[in-house]
Amino acid sequence: MDTSNPAVFVNAELLRLHMGRRVRAVIQVMRSDGGGTVTGQSTDGQQITVKGNPPGPLTTFVEVIGIADGIHSIRAEMWSNFGDTLDTFSYNRICLLANGDYKHLFI
Amino acid sequence: MFGSSQLDSFSGGGFISSQGADPSRTSAKSRDSPPLLPLTVKQISQAIQSSDEKSNFVIDGVDVNNVRLVGMAYKKSERVTDVAFAIDDGTGRIECIRWVNDAVDSKEVEEVSDGMYVRVHGHLKGFQGKIQLVVFAIRPITDYNEVATHFLECIYVHHCYRKPQIQSGHSVSTPSQTDVPAAVSASSSGHNSNQFSGNLSIDGLKGIEKSVIDYLEQPSSLAQEKGIHRNEIAQQLKVPLEKIMDAVASLESEGLVYSTIDECHYKSTSA
Repeated sequence: MDTSNPAVFVNAELLRLHMGRRVRAVIQVMRSDGGGTVTGQSTDGQQITVKGNPPGPLTTFVEVIGIADGIHSIRAEMWSNFGDTLDTFSYNRICLLANGDYKHLFI
Repeated sequence: MFGSSQLDSFSGGGFISSQGADPSRTSAKSRDSPPLLPLTVKQISQAIQSSDEKSNFVIDGVDVNNVRLVGMAYKKSERVTDVAFAIDDGTGRIECIRWVNDAVDSKEVEEVSDGMYVRVHGHLKGFQGKIQLVVFAIRPITDYNEVATHFLECIYVHHCYRKPQIQSGHSVSTPSQTDVPAAVSASSSGHNSNQFSGNLSIDGLKGIEKSVIDYLEQPSSLAQEKGIHRNEIAQQLKVPLEKIMDAVASLESEGLVYSTIDECHYKSTSA
């Protein structure tokens, strides 16, 4: 069992608190240019950029896990398609709780 | 925030045993271990190995039997009688093993591939100093709202089990005395902490049951050797007799009251 490399739940607001660390975020894909950047809206409505090449076609919602390398950008290591419908409010609440009162359950 | 009655009836979505959450009443015996707990790998890594033979681990003061995890499957390696893989739920990785006994089992694990989000149900096992999960069910996730829901449930269940422990500080400080003057202060401050905990914590005992037990724990009631007739309880609390009878039956099964000279007279066991 290994808890040494957790990925913190973040939205655009919380991303800046975890610079250089492994994070995970769900984005609603807005634009994906072929040059290795995907722009999306995070669960709190703000925009973030994800660098990297997705392995295949993306659904509307995508979870990216990677390193936070800018206050609005993530360098993705993994992409997971989360489908075309998702409750972003719940996911956003998880981000707030996992960084707040219940941090000890996550990181 | 939410009325405590709402929380009572919700009873933790099936994860919390409804009778065991009141701090002033709970002893180890009345707190049933939950059948299934949603957990993060980080919580599992903080589990304490209990000396109890029945279950190996204790998390948040509760014996852990079966657990549920949601995460990505990795390093799947199929062997003859079992399939080993790791689950990474973002808080950590845990090794899992799924014994494959028949075609149904092998079909179940075939659907799982590396990097895929799955939900696993299993039992924690200590092995060579590490904690492993013996999985009895694994299912790929199709609706990704399950991810957020699982973590919300982990937080909620953790919160429910932690709250009574924080609150038990109030009741532990109230000593139980046998002489009357101290009993007066003990029962009145006990009553206050019951009111307080009734507002904030998930309370296994319903309002009427609490009133009945509080009435029976008053020094005047405790002083009566033959106990209190249930009609008197109904009269004093201004509650219909059937409700008193239901409350008493429930308190009796909890071991909090007992009948004395006949089935109509009751006394509190804490005398």
